[in-house]
Amino acid sequence: MNTVMSNTTLTKERVGRQITSSIAMTVILVTFSMLFASLLLGFTVFRLTSDVWPPMGFERVDLFLPTISTILIAISSFTFWKYEKLFLAVNKERKLWLGFTMALGFSFMVMQAMLWSDLHSKGIYVQDGIFPSIIFSFTWTHAAHVVVAWFLLFYLVPTLKEGISVEKLENRVFNIGKFWHFLGVVWLIMYITIFLF
Amino acid sequence: MAFYEQHIHDAPKTFLSKYIFSYDHKVIGKQFLWYGILFLGIGGMMALMIRWTLAFPGQPFPVIGNFLFPSTGGVVPPDTYAMLFTMHGTIMIFYAITPILIGAFGNYLIPLMIGARDMAFPLLNMLSFHIAVASGVLLLAGLFTPLGAAAGGWTSYPTLSTLIGSPGVGQTLWTLAIFVLGVSSTMGAINYITTIITLRAPGMGYFDMPLSVWGLGLTAILNAIFLPVLGAGCLLLVFDRVFGTAFFLAGAAATSGTGDPILFQHVFWIFGHPEVYILILPAWGIVSDLLSFFARKPAFGAKATALSMTTITILSTIVYGHHMYTTQMSPLLTQSFMTLTMTISIPSAIFFANWLGTIWKGSIRFHSPMLFSLGVVFVFGLGGLTGLYLATVTTDLYLHDTYFVVGHFHYTMAASVLLGGFAAIYFWMPKMFGTMMNEFWAKVHFWITMLGLNGIFMGMMVVGYAGMHRRLYNPFVYEFMERMIPINTFVTWSAITMGLSQIIFVINFVHAVFFKKEKASANPWEVGTLEWTIPSPSPHYNFKEIPVVKCGPHEYGNPNLTGDRDFQYQTEELV
Ligand code: HEM
Ligand SMILES: [Cu+2]
Repeated sequence: MNTVMSNTTLTKERVGRQITSSIAMTVILVTFSMLFASLLLGFTVFRLTSDVWPPMGFERVDLFLPTISTILIAISSFTFWKYEKLFLAVNKERKLWLGFTMALGFSFMVMQAMLWSDLHSKGIYVQDGIFPSIIFSFTWTHAAHVVVAWFLLFYLVPTLKEGISVEKLENRVFNIGKFWHFLGVVWLIMYITIFLF
Repeated sequence: MAFYEQHIHDAPKTFLSKYIFSYDHKVIGKQFLWYGILFLGIGGMMALMIRWTLAFPGQPFPVIGNFLFPSTGGVVPPDTYAMLFTMHGTIMIFYAITPILIGAFGNYLIPLMIGARDMAFPLLNMLSFHIAVASGVLLLAGLFTPLGAAAGGWTSYPTLSTLIGSPGVGQTLWTLAIFVLGVSSTMGAINYITTIITLRAPGMGYFDMPLSVWGLGLTAILNAIFLPVLGAGCLLLVFDRVFGTAFFLAGAAATSGTGDPILFQHVFWIFGHPEVYILILPAWGIVSDLLSFFARKPAFGAKATALSMTTITILSTIVYGHHMYTTQMSPLLTQSFMTLTMTISIPSAIFFANWLGTIWKGSIRFHSPMLFSLGVVFVFGLGGLTGLYLATVTTDLYLHDTYFVVGHFHYTMAASVLLGGFAAIYFWMPKMFGTMMNEFWAKVHFWITMLGLNGIFMGMMVVGYAGMHRRLYNPFVYEFMERMIPINTFVTWSAITMGLSQIIFVINFVHAVFFKKEKASANPWEVGTLEWTIPSPSPHYNFKEIPVVKCGPHEYGNPNLTGDRDFQYQTEELV
């Protein structure tokens, strides 16, 4: 950390603001976790009370597109982490890694859209029963969050300027980063539960 | 220790930045107060229409009936009746009690009582109010849709709330409104929690915080954890209604996968039981403080009170099944939920005994806030005890969905929280608006309200025990109910009396806020918590110098007091 923080000192004030911001972000992530946990609770109930899964003669969703999505969002978490490191070091290359993250986030969304249209082309629509209901609603809800998070990435553009003050912008970077990683984890859980199992 | 320094900003000058888009926690608190009082009026009118229908079935509602229900000549029609109790419950819980106790007093008190200049995130705070307004508009918009507003009960159980039960747009708007309000309250909760942790004045440990802050903080924690659960339920309900998903559809099971209406009940009550504590915790905290302030005694076992409130908060997350005994749960589950629910009696009894301990042998000053606080002790005691009958599986199977339940939950959350809210308004009026309310009329308001409340809710419990079912348009079509018309009429007259007495409050309040010339002193009640160390009304930066806390909030009659008063400011050191 010492080298990373070299361009500014860790004053008491600055640490105080970091802690404050991370407490708030923790609460926020708890609320979002509860939202997705409740959805998964619903899934669990349907899954456990159904003799066969998927019910009503549906076939499992082809894993090809969801797997690509998983890989994309995992890499985007890595690129964000890289960007964050470089930002703290005020390294010029941070531009590149933020750009990668945006591109990966965008391709994740494209994959999701392709998944939906693929299902539609197979004649599976959201109103066709509980299985498609779950697949569509959960991916929609997650995607809506990803879209918001993706736009939040643009809120980080000011961190790319010359001569920035890390102290002023760091909490913004940390928080958006946590949200981005969080959505990655949620997707991974959804991939394992509603697609794999 | 405040984690960082909050600077003094210049006071806003324009009307918009001062009253509408204010970042100041005190202004936002007042905005929530007006919002809550407005909705309290609307919800109260709806309650009167429900009661009128039960006492005088088939007779037109007086004065405004003809205007509201022209097609029936002023009589409340059956479908409107369902809409009325739904909107009444929803409005009272989410749009009246929540904004007043949590929105108004949470915002107003937390920074002042812990010695901060504002909330940790003022912008978030402002947004929280404006989102609440948007939600209120969504909710009320339902009233103007062709099939009317939501009518599936405040619990909005499927299939009443799916397209089968409620084809109209009103239910969709209701669901969206609740979702949006959840977002607003969650934003508030984020602020409250962070503020309490990071912005306490130097020297203020958690147990030096007034119990009001404890109550508000615990409420915020429950809000942050459980509102999203309701949010998820609302989201899926909206999907069912708008996109045709099958989550809560029972009838669809045969043709296309299995939906599950009961699932919604689980999701609703996982949120719903904590919600009743969300409503009551701030009132508990406020009353615990006020009892000590006006008995001129330290709060008895203040630490134990704080810890029992915390215990109740934790236990409240695992008892929700007691709302669902009649849904064919396995006996193993019902017994477990019953046992867990009964466990809550232990911490409840501790802090209730502490209340009595606080006033025991106190030199009580019977000012209006104290009267209302003692009222809370009484009605919450009754409400809490009647809860035991509902927590017990065997008795609940009979009492479920009767007026006994309605009486019980009104005692606990309507009567207690309402009286607690009034106590808070009378008490903090000088700090909020710089004037005192008229004490005589405050007492008149108290006594009529207190008698009215008990007439209403005691009456409800009696008819419920006799078997009167809730949510019925005209229960008197059943023969065994016919003899209960007189007592229902009594309940309604009590409600009308109580309703009218609120006019006294409104006039008193509006007069004190806008017209009263006489200014209140900085500390009219002679209380030592931090907000009373600054002028009334408090300046926009609250504290010129951030105070240093040297003793607890309830130092009365302590032999080690330093001044010649019978209390000690928290900024003063005991000998
Ligand atoms: C003090 C004046 C009040 C009166 C006279 C009153 C009266 C009523 C009546 C007659 C019902 C209909 C019960 C039924 O048919 O099932 C009802 C329901 C309800 N009230 Fe109140 N009420 C009052 C205040 C409040 C307050 C302050 C709250 C908020 C905490 C509240 C919360 C509810 C709820 C949640 C319901 C259930 C609605 C439903 O069945 O979906 N009430 N009230
Ligand atoms: Cu409960």
